[in-house]
Amino acid sequence: MANRKRSLLPDVYKQKRRCLIPVNKDVSGELVNEHDWDVPTDTKASLLFLKISFPQEKFEDRIPPILMKHQLYSIIHNRTIVDKHVNDLRESGDVKLFRLGADADESCIVFTEDYQRHCLQVMADLKIDQAIIDKFIETIVKKCKDISLDKETLINTYLFTDKEITELIKSSVLTVRDVGSWWLAIPNAGIFMKSFVKGRKFILTMLRKCKYKQVLQKELEQRKWPKLARLGIMYHVNDIIGADLVVRVQTTSGVLLRLKD
Amino acid sequence: MLSFLAGRESGSTNPFLLRRAEITRRIFSLDLSKHRDVERIDSLGGINSLNIDTIENRYLLSGGSNGGIVIHDLENFQGETKFTCRQICHIPNSDNNAHRKSIETVQWYPLDTGLFTTSGTDKQLKIWDTNTLVPADTYSFDGIVYSHHMSPIATKHSLIATGCDKSTIKLVDLRAGSSTQMLKGHKAAVLCVQWSTRDEFILASGSSDNGVLLWDIRTAKGCLMSLDQHNGEAASAANKIKTAHNGRVNGLSFTADGLHLVTFGTDSRLRLWNTTTGKNALVNYGNIENDGRKSIKFSLSSGACPDVIFVPDDSNLTMLDLHGGNQIKTLRGHYNQVNCCVFHHDRQELYSGGNDRNVLVWLPQTDHAYDDFLKTDSKTKDKHSFTKRIAATTDTWSDDDD
Repeated sequence: MANRKRSLLPDVYKQKRRCLIPVNKDVSGELVNEHDWDVPTDTKASLLFLKISFPQEKFEDRIPPILMKHQLYSIIHNRTIVDKHVNDLRESGDVKLFRLGADADESCIVFTEDYQRHCLQVMADLKIDQAIIDKFIETIVKKCKDISLDKETLINTYLFTDKEITELIKSSVLTVRDVGSWWLAIPNAGIFMKSFVKGRKFILTMLRKCKYKQVLQKELEQRKWPKLARLGIMYHVNDIIGADLVVRVQTTSGVLLRLKD
Repeated sequence: MLSFLAGRESGSTNPFLLRRAEITRRIFSLDLSKHRDVERIDSLGGINSLNIDTIENRYLLSGGSNGGIVIHDLENFQGETKFTCRQICHIPNSDNNAHRKSIETVQWYPLDTGLFTTSGTDKQLKIWDTNTLVPADTYSFDGIVYSHHMSPIATKHSLIATGCDKSTIKLVDLRAGSSTQMLKGHKAAVLCVQWSTRDEFILASGSSDNGVLLWDIRTAKGCLMSLDQHNGEAASAANKIKTAHNGRVNGLSFTADGLHLVTFGTDSRLRLWNTTTGKNALVNYGNIENDGRKSIKFSLSSGACPDVIFVPDDSNLTMLDLHGGNQIKTLRGHYNQVNCCVFHHDRQELYSGGNDRNVLVWLPQTDHAYDDFLKTDSKTKDKHSFTKRIAATTDTWSDDDD
């Protein structure tokens, strides 16, 4: 216990001599590696890693890989750095953030190329006018950095007409927020939400049934997973750790997950 | 550390470096003290507010949930390891002048310990004379006083800012004896007020309408700015109100240099703000349980690098890195909810009070004072152990024959 406390203290008296080549001051590169598999420490690398583990075949390619921002909190331990990097990626246009549900904090991340491809596919299926599709992709998908839009911005900055806005709502890339403002949304997100809610509920009930409401992470990963929750167990494990629904405790037999009351 | 000391002696390292490094090391090793405690006064009820005087850092003032007030002396003149901080004076709630209901905030007069102020749910602010323990003055308000604060650096004014239930902040002038100046701007009860530690005319207030306002009391027109958690983005067309939190703001604290402000809200979040620009510094401290209907008093360390926030989290205290946002430690020790904590700046100690009627002392565990004390104690005990054993086994009532 005393050793762990000493490692939390910043190196005030410069006692530790580094055997490795000193890394530059970026904090995310110096974190303690707790997992025994190769964990990417940069935010973008972790996003790519999560994207690859997203089971797209199970959804028959009807949705793009949707990742939750709080899953990154379980991989990278410094939340402020994660927030800052995600913001930088959003500003540079690599990823897009969407608001899911009523909670002010639950936001999900989709890579811009995936979102673009997905919107093209959906809008083409719905036989929307090609001009509108192109205009939407050029302006909102590529340039807009916000998660919500209001009427003045759409009409004045992006030069959409009322009829075009109606078409966009019809293809569910815009969902109603309140009078005159809309959330930017992912079409067919309902498929994702259904699996997500089911999976989260399943993993939490499984934890609740355990003795002392705790289970080793390795044991949790071995358990049987229902067919309906198609996102896969690792997705949900990262999700509940990052959303602070469980506490992660280091034990001598590995990482233990305990349900927070 | 020895290299730092040698460097300071020879002049090659800045003396502030040693001071800062040692303060940081002591703060990071804070833990519940096994040999020091504060005398427990049961008649106080749960402890709602603690304050240490800024002049000598010696006297601990505590206000309880049934209206009682106690002052403890924290100084350990004997130098013994096992030490209990004794109470010097006690104003029970049966006293004619005491508050009728719970006390929400207590504060020493910033310039000397002859005066202290208390306010509570009986809608009154009392100014006490410490030597006679009689209120020198009492001010009545329309609603419950959730919080009051007097500026620690003010020389040009002696105003006490009081945050009341009625959404106005009243400024009580100690020199004139009046309570007429009001600051209007909030739409619901004001839960916490704090003066800036950098500028004697800047005041911050947090309220139930989810907003935090910064005021300059010299201007007549209103608040300086309202803090916006989104920094101007994500504003809906219909809803242009700026909110600092997604829930009631019930804790406020300026950092020691006055450049940053930390706010605590019932949406379980802490936020760090830059006081000059009013921007959210977007530091993610994680989830900290907060369902308080009244103000929570948390405190910040000073002189360390990185600075630490001590925030009550249900029945524990959480230590968080001020600028990084990660959790350093959880201090466990209270049996019930923790209401307030105060940091002793000279000795890097933390005093916390809660609903379990205890004031707990958290000391830096960098020295082995307690282990040495146990060793010396057991040595004196050994001499008596032989006789004690015989005394314990003899029975004085049975016959030797049977």
